[in-house]
Order: sequence, then structure tokens, then C-alpha cells
Amino acid sequence: MTLFDIQDLTVDVPGRRLLEGISLAVPQGKVTGLIGHNGSGKSTLLKVLARQIEAGGRVEFEGRALAEWNARDYARRLAFLPQTTPPAEGMLVRELVALGRYPWHGALGRFGPDDEATVARAMEECGVARFGDRLVDTLSGGERQRVWLAMMVAQQASTLLLDEPISALDIAHAVEVMRLVRRMCHEEGRSVVVVLHEVNMAAQFCDHIVALKQGQVALEGPPSDLMQAARLEAVYSVKMEVLRRTDGQTVAVPA
Amino acid sequence: MSRAAQIGLAGAGLLALALWAWAAMGMLPVAAWPRLPFRAGEMSLDQILLAFGMMPRGVIALVAGAALGLSGALLQTVLRNPVADPTTLGISSGAQLALVLATIFAPGLLVEGRWPVAVAGAALAAALVLAVGARRGFAPVTMVIVGMLVGLTASAVATAVTLSQGQYLLSLVIWNGGSLVQQDWSGVLSLAAVLALGSLAAALLARPLRVLSLGVEGASGLGLNVAAVRSAGIAVAVGLAAAVSAELGLIGFVGLAGPALARSLGARTIPQRLVLSPVIGALILSLCDGAVLAVAGASGEMFPTGALTGLIGGPLLIWLLPRLRGSTPPGREAAEGAAPRLARPMPLLLGLLAALIAAALVLVWIGRVPGGWAILDAQSFSDFLPMRLPRLIAAASAGAALATAGALLQRLTGNPLASPEVLGVSGGAALGFAAVVYLSTAATGPMLYAGTMTGGVVALALVAAYVMRRDMPAERILLAGIAVSALASAVLSAMMASGDARSWTVLAWLSGSSSAVLMPGALALAALALLLWGAALTTARWLTILPLGAGVAGGLSLPLRRARLLLILLAGLATGAATVLVGPLSFVGLMAPHMARRAGLARPMHHVTGAALIGALLMLLADFGARMAGFPYELPLGLFASLIGAPWLLWLMMRTGK
Repeated sequence: MTLFDIQDLTVDVPGRRLLEGISLAVPQGKVTGLIGHNGSGKSTLLKVLARQIEAGGRVEFEGRALAEWNARDYARRLAFLPQTTPPAEGMLVRELVALGRYPWHGALGRFGPDDEATVARAMEECGVARFGDRLVDTLSGGERQRVWLAMMVAQQASTLLLDEPISALDIAHAVEVMRLVRRMCHEEGRSVVVVLHEVNMAAQFCDHIVALKQGQVALEGPPSDLMQAARLEAVYSVKMEVLRRTDGQTVAVPA
Repeated sequence: MSRAAQIGLAGAGLLALALWAWAAMGMLPVAAWPRLPFRAGEMSLDQILLAFGMMPRGVIALVAGAALGLSGALLQTVLRNPVADPTTLGISSGAQLALVLATIFAPGLLVEGRWPVAVAGAALAAALVLAVGARRGFAPVTMVIVGMLVGLTASAVATAVTLSQGQYLLSLVIWNGGSLVQQDWSGVLSLAAVLALGSLAAALLARPLRVLSLGVEGASGLGLNVAAVRSAGIAVAVGLAAAVSAELGLIGFVGLAGPALARSLGARTIPQRLVLSPVIGALILSLCDGAVLAVAGASGEMFPTGALTGLIGGPLLIWLLPRLRGSTPPGREAAEGAAPRLARPMPLLLGLLAALIAAALVLVWIGRVPGGWAILDAQSFSDFLPMRLPRLIAAASAGAALATAGALLQRLTGNPLASPEVLGVSGGAALGFAAVVYLSTAATGPMLYAGTMTGGVVALALVAAYVMRRDMPAERILLAGIAVSALASAVLSAMMASGDARSWTVLAWLSGSSSAVLMPGALALAALALLLWGAALTTARWLTILPLGAGVAGGLSLPLRRARLLLILLAGLATGAATVLVGPLSFVGLMAPHMARRAGLARPMHHVTGAALIGALLMLLADFGARMAGFPYELPLGLFASLIGAPWLLWLMMRTGK
């Protein structure tokens, strides 16, 4: 089942082409990792899918072209987390998570008991329920990231787009957040598209990999397709060696 | 630099020369021009006018333009900020204020020349702006907002002093406007000396500045003493700008235009820019002066050249804004550390409301009488009430409206320095008011009101057109407002420089007064303030989400463009209505939301409400102060408020972070 059907997608900024002729099918119900070197266009692609920037070509989400979705319906089906989460000045965790209900109740609609329950469930799922009455800005990086994920859960969207959610976290928090993302996908039947910097993180936590290079698709397939020395070199333009751990997992290191 | 650009520059030079020569030949045919060396004793009157008026004027346009261009180029390089210039950073206004103060209170200081006084004022203003900037990572937008605030404050103080000392008005205002009229060669000589020194310093600084262009971390990694290079660069720039200020007055935006054109003509490296910017600056000022001369013709000088360069400044800023790169990194703006948050804000809000009502009651009842204070008896109370009540209502409503507008803008842009004062509405309104005063022979109240509103609406439409641009970060919307404000103040100073009685009317209005308000006007303003408050409450959810930035807002399906437009319009409307009463400057719109937030009101509904109450309270107190401080005379309300507000604000911005 296809989540995003992308045909001949192109993004230009004055003087430069960021994405060129991308054609892809992003699968539903899986964690799809977008990887690539700096400037390869992975964040740009994610922002196109989130409708944050305009693009040429055709992109369909759940069988309908992006432009045909109205903003609110789209936000009910899909939630987006920007790369740098802004400071939430003076806001409590509970209030931030409750913002995820905006696409459902709008600017003036009532915040009813159903909304309340959804927010509580979202905080439970992401393990932030006990922070409910803390100020967001007083939490640690990993906790804060889980709060933002809880906001996306409260949005009740079946698709989550995450732009480098772990780039500012230390390894312990990064693993914790990625485990949560994986659980959100597999246990709750959501689809996830996540931009990742680190190839081993992508290989370990993603079901499907899309590698970009200079604005074009360099590779698409399961992580096992990616974790081969020649393919890694093609994507990153640097010699890589693939080691096998005792449990059978593969790890890539620069050769 | 391309061939076309070189030809263009040469063409501009020729045109400037032609304009000057046309004016000069209008005075005297070339054959009759005096020969070198000029000896006044052997010349006719016309020859003297040419040799000691027209000729130095032509030269000083070039020298001053070059000095400003160099000053701007240095500031822009040092601060890595393409909209830095002596005008936008408040440096010129600082020099102006120092000169105004010296002229009135210590004329003896000026015996040695205006230079040292101007430099002191300019340096003080620059130090203030930089001190605030340093705490906020020298973020370009913040620097300009702070610079504008410092500049506006300096102008407010200068206006207050000018108002209190009417007899000096004329000479001050003419000096302010930046007239290039010369009586001898001394100005040219001293300015040329400063320029020569400045060029030498700039040449020495060129290489360190190139290293500095890597940014602070990069430059200090290469072993550069960043602080020393920065201070040296800024000192040279301030010296150059102050010298021009001392000699000619306020000549705005040449320092902005020179480097901007140099860049767009392809000056890529820093040495290229440092050379080309002064050249272009000289050509710009020369062309402007040529145009002024051509318009003036035989009929005499209509308006000073500085006013004309100011007119270029507004559009230029608007053109430059989209090019401004490097938005403030999120979180850098909040220099004060986390504000507290009250668990139960209701008691505070009710307390504020009670304080407001109590203040209103007390202020109705007590008053100053010759020889002391008095509580009014029943008779005088009923006599005074019809006069006092409207102005109290009006002042409180204006305060509440401005504060609500400020809270809306600060939440919309996520920038705690946003305020109605920099939205451009006040500037536009002031222009509208001035236009009515000047264009009609006998302006009536409704006409003035209509003119003021029209001016405000036009300015608002301009800013709103900017908001509609999809890719615009919210804080840059403020810069569009600043551009409008800059344009307005340039035109106003040109009008003032004509120096007739009408400028008094404008000046008095600019400083704001509530004494002429009648009951219907006061009630209308109160209704508007209530309406605005209601509207702000209905947009509370937007106001929660908007500070989180466009990415989050878009992801939550918030109609970003519509929300921005609506909020800007609301804020603009409130500002316009309040401006009619209290004049364009009060700082209440900046102070009140801040105080509310620092008092622990965090959620939009509480924040906006608290800000409105505090704003009303502040304005009541300011009104009381304005009535009492100079009893039996009355000080202008807006001016009084800004004299309290500005120092508080600077203190707030200077406070150290966490």
C-alpha cells in the first residue's frame, strides 16, 4: 500500500535546483528513513511532503494530490515536526500536547472531554504524563522531544513526518526516542517518514530506506540493500566498511 | 564590477556635475566665475556667493556622502548586517540629541565646534545599541529594532526639550533637516580631514575585517582579537557619522544605500566594498543635492537635502529586507531568562482591575491647586467631572488598546521587542496629520482626524502587503513597519525644516495630549479598546501556536497568512486610534505586555488581559503625571509616557540573562 506517490518532483530556489525528478513510492505502515549527505535534499523532500514548501511535479498522499487536500483535513491525517523545535515560552507540557487538537477543534471550537482524553492518552503513550504540569522549557532534550511527539500523537494523524528528531540528542536519548518512534509506528498502525543523519541509526530503526544524493534518489529499498560497502560509498562518496555484529546486525564505519 | 556598472557610475557622476553646474551657471555665467585664489575683497557679490557658497556646497556633498558611505560599509561589515547604517542604528539621532541639549543647556560646549559634542552623543547611542545587541548575538533584526527605539527615544527627548524652549526651535530644526548650504570652505576642510583619517583607518582595518566576516568563532579561531577589531571598526564609523552630523545635521540612509548598491553592483570582497561604498555614497548625496538645487532654482531653498535622502531610505529598506539573511536563531531573543508562570492568574488580574478602578476614582477626586493638593468638594467635583472624566477614559482606553496591540504583535512575531511604535502605523498617521495641516488653510478637527486615519491605514496596508509574502519570517514584518516609520520621520523633518508656524501644530500633536478629548471621542475609544480585547481573546489559540513558528503552525493547519493579516490589522487599528489621542510614541505598547509576562501571566488570554489592564493603568498614571509635573502647565501625555517608558525599556534590555 502506498502512502506517498511521488512523480517527477522538482524543487528550485533562485539559482539552484534542490530536488530533481524524484519519483518514489513511500510505503504505508512502515518507518521510512530519508538519508543522504548534507545538502542532498532530504529535509527539502520532507518539507514538500509536509506542504511547507511548494514544488513542481505530482505528489499524492493517500491517493489524493497534495494540492487537493484542505489544510485541516491534511493536518488530521499527517503531523509534522520541524528540525529545530522552537522554545515554548511559558507553556506547560499539557498545554503543548493539547495544541495537537487544533486541527480538530479549530480556532473557536470547544475543547471537550474527548479532546481531554486524547491528550491524556497521547501523553501516556509517549511517557510524558508525569511531566504534565512542568514548563516545557525546563525539560531535558530527550524529554522535550517526547513531548513534541506526544503533541503529534494528540493530533491523531496516521502519518508522522519527523525532520532529524534526534540530531540534538545524546546517544541514550536518541535511542530512546527512536524506539518510541518505532513503537508508535508498529504498535499503533501509523506510518513514519523520518530524516536521519546517521546511517547506522537509519539501518537499525527503519523498515525502508530512501537515500538521496544531490537532489536525486540514489537508492531505495530495505536497510539490507543499503548496508553494503559499494552502495554506501555511492550514497556518501566515502569508502565505507560494513561489519557484522554477533547478533547479525550490520554496522557501517568509514574504511 | 561589470562594464555596465562602471558606465552607470560615470554617468551618475556626470549627471551630478551637470546638475551642480546648471545651478551654478544660473547664478553667474562661467566667464564671470572668480579665479583662484579666491579673495573676497576683489569679488562681486555674485562671485562671492559662488566661490564661498555654491562651490563648497558641491564639494561637501561629495565629501559628506563619501564619509557616510564609508561609515555604513564599516558598520555593515563589522556587524555582518546589511541594514546597519548610522540612521538605522540610532547613531545619528544620538548625535542630534547631544547637539540639541548642548545648544540649549550648555552653549559654551559648542565654542570648540560641534564635533566633540556630536561624537559624544553618537558614541553613547552606539554603545547603548551595541550593548543590547551583544546580549542578543548581534542579530540583524534585533539590532535595527533596538537602534530604531534608541533613535526614536532620542528624538522624543529632543522634541520635549525643543518644545520647552521655543525660541531655539528654528535653528535647531533647520540643522536637523540636513541642509547642505555653506558659507565658506571651513566645513569642507574639516570634513575632508575626517574622511582622510577615516579612509586610512578603514584601509588598515580591511584585512582584519575580512577575517571577521567569518563570524566571531571563526575569526577568534584564526587568532583575531575580535573585540578590538569590532570596536575599532565601529569607532571609525561612529566618528565619520558624527562628523557629518555635526557639520550638516541628519542626512539619513546614504550609509545604507552606498554599500547596498556597491554589493548589487558586484563588489564582493571587503576591500572592494570599502572603496566602492564611499564613491557611491558621494554620488548619491551629490545627486540629491543637485536635485534640490534644480528644484530650488532661483526661488530659493524649499527643503533640505537630508529630507530627500530620507525619502529614499524607506523604499530602500523595503527593497533590502527580503535579502536579509540569517534570521535570529530561535531562543536567542529572550535575554532575560525564563519568566515565571503563575499557577493561578485570576487573583492578579482581579487585583489589577481593582487597582485600575481605584486609580480612576482617586484621580478624578484629587487635584493640584495653587499652593498644594486638594480633594475636591462636591461643588468643584461636579464642575470638574465633565472635563476630567473624558480624558481619564480616553487615556486609559488608549493605554489598553496600545498594550493589547503590543501583546498581539509580540506573540505574532515571537519577538519580545515588537511594539506598535515600530509598526509604522504611527508614522503613517503622523504623516497624514501633517499633510492635512500643511495642505489645508484652516484644518478642522474632523479633517485632521480623517487625515490621521488615512495615513495610518495606508501605512498599515503597506505592511500588510508585506505580510502576504509567504516566505517572510514574522519578525521581518516589523522591519517593513520600521521602513515606513523611517520614511515618515524623514518627511516630517522636511516639513518642520520649512520652519513656519504650522510646524508647531504638528510638533504639539506629535507629543500627544489628551486635554482636548470630548466625551463621545473618549467613549468611542473605550468601545474600540473593549472590541479589540474581545477579538484578541477569540484568537487566543492562534496566539498560543504562532510563537512556535511557521513550521509548527503550518503542521497544525493554522491558516498562517490569514492569521497574520488579521492580527496585524487588529493591532494597526488599535494603534491608529490610540495614536490620534496620545501621539505616535508612548512605549506603553512595549512595556505593558512585558510587565504582564514578567508578572507571571503566560497563557494568551491572561497575558493579553493583564497587558491591557497594565497599559490602562500606566496611561492613567502618565496622564496624571503630565497634568501635575509642570503645574499649572500641562506636559504632553505621550511625551511624558515615553520619558518614563524609554529608560525602563533600556534597563530591561540591558539586563543580563539567566
